[in-house]
Formats: sequence, structure tokens, C-alpha cells
Amino acid sequence: MQPVLPEVEAASPADGIGKSAADVVIVGAGASGSVAAQRLAAAGVDVVCLEQGDWAHTADYMSAEPEAELAWVQRWNPDPNVRRNLADYPLTGEADIRPVMYNGVGGGLVQWAAMWQPLLASDFKVRSLDGTADDWPIGWDDLAAHYDAVAHDLSVSGLAGDPALPEAGGYPNPPVEIGRVGRSAARGMDRLGWHWWPGANAIASRRHGSLQACQRRGTCMTGCPENAKAIPSLTHWPAALAAGARLVTGARAAQIPLDERGRAVGVVYLDADGAAHLQRASVVMLAANAVGSARLLLLSTSARFPDGLANSSGLLGRRLMQHPYRTVTAVFDEPLESWQGPWGQSIYSLEFAETHPDRDFVRGAKWMVMPHGGPMFAVAEYHEARRQHGFDALWGENFHRAAAEVFGRAFTWGIQAEDLPEDHNRVVLDPAVCDGSGLPTARIEYRMSENSRRMLDFNLARAVEAAEASGAVETLVRGVWPTGIGHVLGTARMGDDPATSVVDRHCRAHDVANLYVIDGGVFVTGGSANPTATIMANARRVADCLLRERAAVEVPG
Amino acid sequence: MSEPRLDASQRAVLTRLADVLIAEGHGMPSASAVDVAGSLIDRCLDAAPVLAAPLGALLEEGAPEAPEGFARRLAAERPDDFAVLSTAVVGSYYLSGEVRRLIGYPGQQPSPVSVAGEPDYLDMLERVYERYPGYREAP
Ligand SMILES: Cc1cc2nc3c(=O)[nH]c(=O)nc-3n(C[C@H](O)[C@H](O)[C@H](O)COP(=O)(O)OP(=O)(O)OC[C@H]3O[C@@H](n4cnc5c(N)ncnc54)[C@H](O)[C@@H]3O)c2cc1C
Ligand code: SF4
Repeated sequence: MQPVLPEVEAASPADGIGKSAADVVIVGAGASGSVAAQRLAAAGVDVVCLEQGDWAHTADYMSAEPEAELAWVQRWNPDPNVRRNLADYPLTGEADIRPVMYNGVGGGLVQWAAMWQPLLASDFKVRSLDGTADDWPIGWDDLAAHYDAVAHDLSVSGLAGDPALPEAGGYPNPPVEIGRVGRSAARGMDRLGWHWWPGANAIASRRHGSLQACQRRGTCMTGCPENAKAIPSLTHWPAALAAGARLVTGARAAQIPLDERGRAVGVVYLDADGAAHLQRASVVMLAANAVGSARLLLLSTSARFPDGLANSSGLLGRRLMQHPYRTVTAVFDEPLESWQGPWGQSIYSLEFAETHPDRDFVRGAKWMVMPHGGPMFAVAEYHEARRQHGFDALWGENFHRAAAEVFGRAFTWGIQAEDLPEDHNRVVLDPAVCDGSGLPTARIEYRMSENSRRMLDFNLARAVEAAEASGAVETLVRGVWPTGIGHVLGTARMGDDPATSVVDRHCRAHDVANLYVIDGGVFVTGGSANPTATIMANARRVADCLLRERAAVEVPG
Repeated sequence: MSEPRLDASQRAVLTRLADVLIAEGHGMPSASAVDVAGSLIDRCLDAAPVLAAPLGALLEEGAPEAPEGFARRLAAERPDDFAVLSTAVVGSYYLSGEVRRLIGYPGQQPSPVSVAGEPDYLDMLERVYERYPGYREAP
């Protein structure tokens, strides 16, 4: 069904902010959009960023209140379908895993756990090494300097020298204390002779840059009340705005109109009152995440692009990857104060991240140790694991067993699997359901593959062994998380061949010369690493390419 | 705090249902002993307003004479409604200062990190370094 868009006259004079055309208009002020805005504005480029959400203020978080755990129930739940803020668009569809995200200045980083993890060198060449999926058109070396620069901008705390990764420039801050939780997990890995390393996190272990020192509150994913976790409103926007970038909040991009030569004219957006505006620009950059950017391009149909803008390959929206995720909670008979943060990664392991000929799946998973939260978490986890024991085992006077046995005495191994890109896993427009602005929303079609299932089963069994080697008296194993972990990748893949990719190696659309996609959508494969280090490093790389090749970019006439 | 969202009769039903879920035992008080249906449920619903309407409706229908059967039926037959009730009761219970003291939970309090001095796990890391074969190079 053709989406019904508000009437906008593409040829009318610009009536965006300041009524002036910009050099670059960016859609989305999340991880990638913030990096690009800051980098381009600092180089003197006139940047306008359109963001459908608002600023998240430290005072809005509930994290410093006794009610902190209740923030998950609604207000700071990462699932837009639960949270239902004005800026959120519902996600529909019967998917094995449905994405979660935050919509507002900072994007997913408002709620991220700040785990900082570059891809493996092999992740860029999966086809060459393992004969499956595809190679990226770029490699580790193309991102190396950008990984270092962004890690510095985000005040990452970590320990350099992990032998599982290529050598890098190091982190600006020493790792956050791994705590009793991390030490206990590391002892298990040591006994088994498996890889582990202290976690790198975009959380300041000491005052650094725009961040304060972490106070270990453990509320990182419902908003850090201490300004110790890196979010773009602290790390990128002050410099971007000072350099002249303009950020329009409450601006929902609805369409990218083209001129008669097929160049993007700018972005049509709807303000909070539903009024349509056109922000003209020489270059359009999409940073609305792998769901939001695909949705916007699918909304932008025309006679030239009846199946969505920049979709001559037919791959737009396809190959959605989400890192299927399961957990093993290790329970101990001693107190670990495991509600304490940071709720990033205390330690991680890449022991099973690579393909191994003896396993019945290709590629692998990353593991990370996290704290276990407060008593509500303990109860939820205990009940999930023992649901089949029935009402009397969980309620009445037995209710107190969860707190007595699990609360404060447990840590979690999170197992994050690399899902391979598959065409049928995709974002499409919902034919019936719209967002608050009346735009068709995104429907998610995602089926977990047999490869992912085997990978998770294998890794879960190993993680139980690791927990036992750490001295756990019990392990609580959970199924695949149906709402995902906020990692959305792959719907506008990067590649050299216009027939099999949406954007080129510089993340410029093959079909539209002045249109870029710079978010997680451009991932060719997903690796098993938490993706944001790579998303931000890549956005910085693209911004630098654009600065270098500015003169060569074809603009609307 | 906003206007209380439950009336006296709803609170009376909540008190009885909450005790079905959280009874006294293992050295811990029951839900009613810490007055879950008083100011704690108000704080809980302020923090998670989405629970208020469905909880209010449940408490209208929750037979005060047979709270146990009602709670069991909800758990067995109406999992979404049971989730509303149990989240509200558990969330309110753990807001109680007395309960927190008894389980040793200070809340998500600040506790400054220390990065002074060498970490005490370097010997274990040394062993990782020695045994790791090196990363897989890309062509
Ligand atoms: C709870 C949670 C925990 C996470 N933890 C980690 C972690 O520890 N480590 C890690 O690496 N990653 C983590 N992530 C993932 C991380 O947040 C994402 O990888 C990252 O934010 C994606 O960056 P992006 O630039 O692609 O998009 P986003 O950061 O999602 O930004 C997209 C922005 O575009 C805006 N937008 C979308 N559509 C429109 C439109 N039509 N008009 C205007 N604006 C629009 C959105 O409002 C949003 O602000 C986590 C995510 C969540 C939700
Ligand atoms: S643990 Fe640190 S980063 Fe996380 S919320 Fe607390 S102070 Fe912020």
C-alpha cells in the first residue's frame, strides 16, 4: 500500500529552521548522527540535525530515586512499545526478536550499557575466511584511528593489550574496578584456561572530558544520574552546537524528496504540531538507526524509486541483524553486592567468538559479565527460571527465597551471538499501523536461524561450565530475549557492487549521489561485538571522507 | 506526589491479594505488615503510571472473600493481568525501608570507584596473554 504522506511541495522555498539551506542535513541525533554533526560542524560545515525526540535531561532519570528499579516498568523501559513516549514509533510484526531503542537526542546511548567493543579483524572478511555471508569493503585498518579517536571523545575506560584484538591506541582511562563479580567470573575462566579481559566501557573511571567519575550506581541503562556514562548530549552536542550546528528536536523526518536529476533536495519533516517543513541541504545523511533509516527510505517512494529510495538493489530493509541474546546467571553462596554498577561489562570473553571446525555452526559469540541488579531483578530472574515449579514455589512464604538465594549473590554472563545476514529478516512498512504523526510505522520480520540457535546452545552450555568453575552453587538459564538488546544492524548494507548493496564503501547511496546512510544499517555482517564503537568510528570515517571529497559531491541544481 | 490513584475499598482488596503473593516467612514480613497498600503502592504507581488503570480494574473485580483463588486464577489464566498485580505488589514491597534493611539492600546508591593502584588480577591476565594463540588475521 502506498503510504499517505502529508502534502509537501518539494519545490517550495525552504522553511526549515532559519529558512536557510544547510550544507548537510542529518536525520537522527543518536550515536552516529552526533559524531557526524560534531565532526562536520567543527570543520566549518553548516549542519542541521533533525531529531524526532527531545533532550533527555539528567533530572528526568529516576536512577537516583529509591524507585530506580521501577523505571524499567515503563518510563525507562528500552522497548518503545512499552515506553510509548511521544517520540516513539511502534514496532509491529511477529518477530522472534523485536528491536529496542531510545528515540531522542543521544539515541540508543541514552540507555546503553556503554560496553565498548571493536569488531574483530576477521569480522570484516567473513566470506573470505569462512565462506559464508559477505566481506565488508573496508577493514579494521580503515577504522583503527577512528576507534581510538571516538574512544577518547567518549572517555572510555579500559585496558589495552587484549591479544584477541589488533593492537590499538589504548583508552584514555583505566578500567573501572571489575568488582567482586568480575573477579569471581575471571577465576572461573582462569581455571578453564579460557580467554577473558577486563571490560572497556564508555564510562569514566575518573573525571575525564565532559564526564564525571562513575559512582557505581548500576543504573546505567535507565540513565546515569552522575553524568559518568558517555551520551552525546554530554560528549558531542556541546561542541557541535558551539561550532554552529543546528539541532531541531521534535522534528520527524517523513520523506526525502528528489529533484528532476534524482538528487536529494533535503528532508521533509513534521513538527510536533504536525506541520510539514522542508529542510533543504546539499547533502542528506541518515543516522536514524537500522530501523528508522530503512523506514524513511521506504517512505520516500517516487516514480523513479517505487520500492523505496536508493533501493535499486532490492536490499533496502533486508539483512536485519540483532545479536540474539541469552543469559546464564551464576548464583553464589556468598554476598557479591551484585546490584552495584557499573552496568557495563565487568569482564568479557572472546574465547568462542571465532569459527571453529569442530562446531556445528559458523562464527561465534561474545560473552560479558554484568551485575545482577536489585531485588526486583532477582525475583524476576528466579521466577523466570522456576516458572514450571508452580505458584506455591514462587509465592506466599516462598516468595522470600528469591531475595535470600539470588539477590546480591549473583552475576550474569550475557551471551551475544553473531547472527548472519539473511534477506528474509527485514524492516518493512506496516500497511495499517502509523506513528503519532500519521506515518506508517516499521514492521519487523525476523526469524532466528538454525545457525544462531546452535551457536547459543553451545555457548550457553560453556557459560554454565564457566559459572560452575567460578564456584557458582546454582545457574539460572534464560531463553532467547524476545525484545532484543538494542543492536540493530544491516538494513542498508555497504558494498562495492550496486546490485548487492545499498551504499558504497563511503556509505554514499549507489543510487543517489548526495545521500548517505551512516548508522548501524550499513553493517555487512554483525560480528559478535556490541556494535556502537564501530557505528561511531564508521560515522567519523564517513564524515572525514565527505570533508575530503566535498567538492566532488553532486548537489541539487 | 500526584493524587492517590486507589480508593479505600481497592486498597482493602489489594491488602488481601498482596498477602497471598507475599506472606510472612523466612524472617521477612508479609506485604500487609509493611502496608504495601498504603503509601508504597502510591509511590509505585507514580513511578510506573501504566500499572494504575489495569490494577485499579483488577481490584474492582478481585473477590475480597476469596483472594487466594482469585490470585491463582489470574496466574493460571490471565498472565498479563497477573503481571500487573505482581509487578505492583513486588515493586511496592521492595520500596519499604524495613524490607530493604532486612535484605541488606541500600538501593542503587553511589559508591565511588577506586582506580588507584594496580588491579589485583594481573597474574591471571598474564596467563591469558601466554595461552592465547593470537587473533585471526583478515586477508
Ligand atoms: C538498552 C540498550 C543498551 C545498549 N547497550 C549497548 C552497549 O552496551 N554497547 C553497545 O555497543 N551498544 C549498546 N546499545 C546499542 C546502541 O544504543 C546502538 O547501537 C546505537 O545507539 C545505534 O546508533 P545509531 O546511530 O545507529 O542510531 P540511534 O542511536 O538509535 O539513533 C537514531 C536516532 O534517530 C532518531 N530518528 C529515527 N527516525 C527518525 C525520523 N524519522 N526523524 C527524526 N529522527 C529520527 C531517533 O529518535 C534516534 O534518536 C544498547 C541499546 C539499548 C537500547
Ligand atoms: S554505575 Fe556509573 S555510569 Fe552507571 S549509572 Fe552509576 S554512576 Fe552512572
